[in-house]
Amino acid sequence: MIRLLFDRGTLLLKGEVGTPYGKWDPRVGCYRIKALHYRDVLSYLKESVILCQDEVPNPPPLQTLKDAVKLRPYQEEALSKWRNVGMRGVLVLPTAAGKTFIALKAISLLRTQTLVVVPTLDLIDQWRKRVSDYLGIKAGAVGGGEDNVQMVTVSTYDSAYLQAEVLGNRFMFIVFDEVHHLASPGYMQIAEMYIAPYRMGLTATYERSDQRHALLPTLVGDMVYTARVEELTGEHLSPYVHDKMYVDLTPKEQSTYDKEMSVFNDYLKKRRIVLKSIDDFHKFIMATGRDKRAREALLARNRAIKVALNSEAKLSLLAKQLETHKNEKTIIFTLHNDLVYAISRRFLIPALTYQTPKEERREILESFRRGDYKTIVTSQVLDEGVDVPDASVGFILSGTGSTREYVQRLGRLLRKVEGKRAKLVEIVSKETMEVRMSRRRRQKRGEEA
Amino acid sequence: MLPSELLAVRKRRGVIWPRYARLSDSNLEVANSLIRVYQNHLGEKKSVVKEVIDEIEEKGYDYRFVRGLSFILDRRSRFKCNDQINAIDLRRKIYHATGKLGLPTTTEQRTRIIKAVASELEISPETVEEFSYADLETELILEEFGPLSPLELLQDYNLSLTQTLLFDSTEVTFTSSSRWQEIFYTAKKLGLIYDAFQDGGFWVKVDGPASLFKLTRRYGTSIAKLLPVIVASPGWSVEAKIFWKYTNEICDFKIESSKHQALLRKPKAATVSFDSIVEEDFATRFQALATGWLLRREPEPVLAGKHVIIPDFSLEKEGIKVYVEIVGFWTTEYLLRKIEKLKQIDEDMLVLVNKNLACEKLANLEKHARLDVIHYKDKIPLAPIIHHLEQRFREVETKQVGFVKDLPIVFTEPIVNYEEFAARIGVSAEAAKTALTDKAPQGYTAMSNELVRNDILEQVKKKIEEKVSHERQLWLSEAIRTIEEGGAKDAVSVLKTLGYKVIWHGINSEKAEVVKAWKN
Repeated sequence: MIRLLFDRGTLLLKGEVGTPYGKWDPRVGCYRIKALHYRDVLSYLKESVILCQDEVPNPPPLQTLKDAVKLRPYQEEALSKWRNVGMRGVLVLPTAAGKTFIALKAISLLRTQTLVVVPTLDLIDQWRKRVSDYLGIKAGAVGGGEDNVQMVTVSTYDSAYLQAEVLGNRFMFIVFDEVHHLASPGYMQIAEMYIAPYRMGLTATYERSDQRHALLPTLVGDMVYTARVEELTGEHLSPYVHDKMYVDLTPKEQSTYDKEMSVFNDYLKKRRIVLKSIDDFHKFIMATGRDKRAREALLARNRAIKVALNSEAKLSLLAKQLETHKNEKTIIFTLHNDLVYAISRRFLIPALTYQTPKEERREILESFRRGDYKTIVTSQVLDEGVDVPDASVGFILSGTGSTREYVQRLGRLLRKVEGKRAKLVEIVSKETMEVRMSRRRRQKRGEEA
Repeated sequence: MLPSELLAVRKRRGVIWPRYARLSDSNLEVANSLIRVYQNHLGEKKSVVKEVIDEIEEKGYDYRFVRGLSFILDRRSRFKCNDQINAIDLRRKIYHATGKLGLPTTTEQRTRIIKAVASELEISPETVEEFSYADLETELILEEFGPLSPLELLQDYNLSLTQTLLFDSTEVTFTSSSRWQEIFYTAKKLGLIYDAFQDGGFWVKVDGPASLFKLTRRYGTSIAKLLPVIVASPGWSVEAKIFWKYTNEICDFKIESSKHQALLRKPKAATVSFDSIVEEDFATRFQALATGWLLRREPEPVLAGKHVIIPDFSLEKEGIKVYVEIVGFWTTEYLLRKIEKLKQIDEDMLVLVNKNLACEKLANLEKHARLDVIHYKDKIPLAPIIHHLEQRFREVETKQVGFVKDLPIVFTEPIVNYEEFAARIGVSAEAAKTALTDKAPQGYTAMSNELVRNDILEQVKKKIEEKVSHERQLWLSEAIRTIEEGGAKDAVSVLKTLGYKVIWHGINSEKAEVVKAWKN
């Protein structure tokens, strides 16, 4: 009897038969196939009239779903395009355009075991709530200390990757939220080691600077729908204004900044190093392992950046700004955790970082949504997808040059609320390289959108 | 295992190796001062400990080395949150106060909120400030520290460094001298696939299911976890392929016990434990019998087709080896798999199956030529095992006797010792003796321990006869000397062959008399 088995994230075809999707594995003496090709192997065997016992799937029991999802016209369009291509594909929609609802609708149509893969623990909570609100069942969760598989299960990318060996054959449908993450060398194995024949990818930022998004068609399916921010602004999303404010470093900060930067620049000059690209910079970082001077130069540069990013002048300006926007829901973004806590202590407002205990994080977000807390400060944890519908003001106190981060922060404030006009304010130290970083954030955005 | 940013390596021409901390005085000194930092800062905040360590780092050591050591010491420490007041509850009160009284943008407003919270909880405003973030990592208190010697710290560091490099490995090939059962068990538990082969020793290559499709570091973490078990026994050698992401190349990495054992921390040796009482009981009783068969637990693995079997015991005697596998409790599926595996073995294998739990499928096993099955109930019976061993021994011996008899060998030397000869051609001494005494080669006479060439025997015979006729009385010691001068060692046997016997007058050979056997 020919048998198809699941073996730790791969398939084994036992019996005197081969398949073009597999590869002979001399270690076990039979054909081994990527779980990704589960559907292809089955149809190959069927077409070749090879009788085979399929022992691969091990799905959790089905539950009865209700369907309370109402889609907007563009969401309908996205979903039907996805259904027309064999239910494998990527949908590109801006943040706040309701990607989640399209996926929920797909789950309710397929009525099959589904894994939703998300980047953060917060998003697990958010998805579970949505599943319970709109599908009427309790979703399972894998990650963040939980390990509970249900008909609909939400997992982080990390857990889905780490547990591919045992979870790979349990779902027929897999949804990748923020699917651009999937193209990384590690996470792409999730797509390869899970059997799910139906696949949906969702993102607002399809392209990756390393071009690896080119892998997504193989892993998930082709890009079948795309809508830009501009197309939806006004009609479905709030309009927003962007403002930039400069502050002077205090004299003491300025002199520290200049001193530290000159250590860094002198080193580069002496070694005739030009830092033009990310690659140059990586090489420089590698050199700091061998060369003590290089290490000192790097540390000096980091101290200088810290001075500019965490300037006291910024905090004074922030105080004034907060005074003006006192009654609006406000999120403050920073790069460094130190600054998050400094701001939290100074203004006595909730801080969200990776160190915030899970329960407290949940509670803070809930209170913020309800309006008990008006202002919160955070480092990068809110970058992706956590839903804070009516926040209207954002302050960026420091950030990296990353475009994605910028767009996503913007997205925080773009949730559809009638009559809302969102405002995003960047506070930048003058005469420092932070100016350049801020410019880069905005420039690149234009290119990518 | 260290965070990857602390991994220090050297790389040249496709070969990569960690920058091991040499066990030099200056490194031991650094290790010692770091250990002392932890010992001397019990009860202090983590941020304070880290500040002192930063100072040591700034003395000019490789920061990855100092931080790596500190990372290992962190793991031996227990940091505790000062929980006199629950920080999360305290913060909630503060945030709520802010929500009610409005966000403070001046110092006065801020003080008002802190005071409000303080009076609500009946604590001082200073306590509010102090405890509001007491649960942050940097604020945790060093409560306990498990000390170790500077040498151990360096060895721990080197082992961790090796494991950290192995995180990026795509496969590993290794050999070791023992503890195979533990090695395979661990590899299996870690989800790895092994491929064993003989190449001047027993080697094992390990990677994972998906390694078939492409080089992947997916199993690197598991490989790293396997390392301590491999290096726990002497005589190991480890070769790995490392995917170095920074340059996008595959590098070779190799370490071996002869060069690196001293550098690495050796895990505590696990005591030899028996899987079951049944096994232990069998070993004890068997050894008490002193059968001449050497019993070894967990012998070197046996290749069974694609699989590796580590039999429970091996029994050895004069170059004959019989493996023993005890099948105690089993499920049908387990047994079928086992049978499948055992069938592929090209070795003598004795399988002991608990009859209480036996099933008819075992009949298949018995058909296999080299596989013998003994059933038992409750206690493993020794008699059938010894019977089997003896039978196997005889079988082998008969075969060897035939082999020796058929040898187209022509002897020339004056004396042929059975034992030496047996060793030379790889049969048991007993087999050699049986073969040669059964039918002595032409021109030789078989004694009980050796062959003596007939001309030598003739010379000896003459000398002995002379002595007997001249002196009328020949002492045994004198006879032995005479025989040994001729080259033979088996004097008593020679005398007997020549028709003499020895009459003892006490235990002294000087007083033993050699006489013609037909006399008296």
